[in-house]
Amino acid sequence: MKYVLLLTRGAWQEEGSEQERAQVFGGIVEWFTKYRADGTIVEANQLREPDTATTVVVEQGRSTMIDRPLLEAKEAIGGYAIVEVPDLDAALALAASFPVPDGKVEVRPIVER
Amino acid sequence: MSSADPVGAQAARSLIERVFREEAGRLTASLVRLLGDFDLAEEMVGEAVVEALRRWPSTGPPRRPGAWLLTCARNKALDRIRREARFQDRLPQLAARIEALPDSAEREPDDRLRLIFTCCHPALDPDAQVALTLRAVVGLTTAEIARAFLVPEATLAKRVTRAKRKIATAGIPYRAPEPEERAERLPQVMCVVYLVFNEGCFTTGGDLGVRRELVDDAEWLAALLAGALPQEPEPLGLLALIRLHAARWPARLNADGRLVPLADQDRSRWDAPRIRSAVALIERAASLGRTGPYQIEAAIAAVHCEAPGWKETDWPQLLRLYDMLLAVDPSPVVRLNRAVVISHTRGPAAALVQVENLSDRLGHYHLFHATRASLLRDLGRATEAAEADRQALRLTANPAERSLLTARLRDSGGTG
Repeated sequence: MKYVLLLTRGAWQEEGSEQERAQVFGGIVEWFTKYRADGTIVEANQLREPDTATTVVVEQGRSTMIDRPLLEAKEAIGGYAIVEVPDLDAALALAASFPVPDGKVEVRPIVER
Repeated sequence: MSSADPVGAQAARSLIERVFREEAGRLTASLVRLLGDFDLAEEMVGEAVVEALRRWPSTGPPRRPGAWLLTCARNKALDRIRREARFQDRLPQLAARIEALPDSAEREPDDRLRLIFTCCHPALDPDAQVALTLRAVVGLTTAEIARAFLVPEATLAKRVTRAKRKIATAGIPYRAPEPEERAERLPQVMCVVYLVFNEGCFTTGGDLGVRRELVDDAEWLAALLAGALPQEPEPLGLLALIRLHAARWPARLNADGRLVPLADQDRSRWDAPRIRSAVALIERAASLGRTGPYQIEAAIAAVHCEAPGWKETDWPQLLRLYDMLLAVDPSPVVRLNRAVVISHTRGPAAALVQVENLSDRLGHYHLFHATRASLLRDLGRATEAAEADRQALRLTANPAERSLLTARLRDSGGTG
């Protein structure tokens, strides 16, 4: 089954020292490299900072724009990965192995047609 | 017997009820494994029951009612998947598997284990785990579960439906965890069984018969786990714990439905063979050499059950067990229960000091105040005791407990 892992930004991204951040990023790169290589990760991207986001709201056929991300800063999405695994247990184990000091990962099945 | 014979119809219905209670989990488990679809499996089992209700009054019950229901549900499932387009691409494979399903279902413990682990998957909300387990494994109706947990039936039905949908669409696997994952998953399953037991035994009131059935259901589930995982000591401990409480059941309420404290229970009304069987389970668990909280709790209950009277209780042994329990479960409620034991080994004053240390964390818990009241009374501080009992009364809705507290207040002259 295919799932998307929605990766939130963690406090470590704002608070850690330059060196600590670099170390965590190193671990993350390794993680992505490993699971891309074995075909688990189908596609993955890191997103630009939340303050670069624009939210478009559509109401009664008309749209307005808001100069901020959809979600509160604390839960802002920092990246995503689309993974192909046998079942939810495998997807959850993968999410739990994401090497960050703090943060959340939402695991959602993707509709496959 | 004619089909109009009301006695025959009634006998058939009560037979079906009993068979269904015993077999529903197994039937559903076998079908879910084949179909990968909870709703369809339950629907087919339901249709088989309807068929039985229609036929058995006139034909008389079959020799093996469980096998009859399974065959009937299996045939109905076959009909359905042949008819329905959504099964078309999997039809040949599914049909072969269903036809190969043995009548006696010798894989039964595996199937049920798989089902219970799926229902108690950590990706489901704990409330949903409890509801789904009672629905799919035990075979209770949503109305029965709603009544037992005192929630509106619509709420409960929604909870079950959502959980089933999530299992299907989110890809929660229908399997029991591998031995190496079991340490992580088994506690959650036991916790669900414990919640069912706890709801039956200790909480919120409601119909007494319903509550007793929940205790029986919890015992059945624990026996299922213990039987399917014979090398795991904690399910044996859980089963023993539930069985010991069930053994004391006949003495725990008086004729007016008031809770009788352990100290005052008529021990001749306890179920001695059940106690012996539970003690044997604890010994078997101990022989596996890995202790855990359920085994310790069961051992504590066994010390009470084996004492000829409250005064003859082996308090030093209880204290040792509570110290062990505290080491694995350092919760304030365990500390509170340990303090009660201390009142018997070192006196009420020493116990009261320990209890009062817990006031920050247990101030909202009625048994904290009830325990404190009883210690204060032992120390001759009647006014403070009555105030603590009144505080306990404000914090519990359970009618049996309220009745006990009210009586205690009245007897000690503290009602005013």
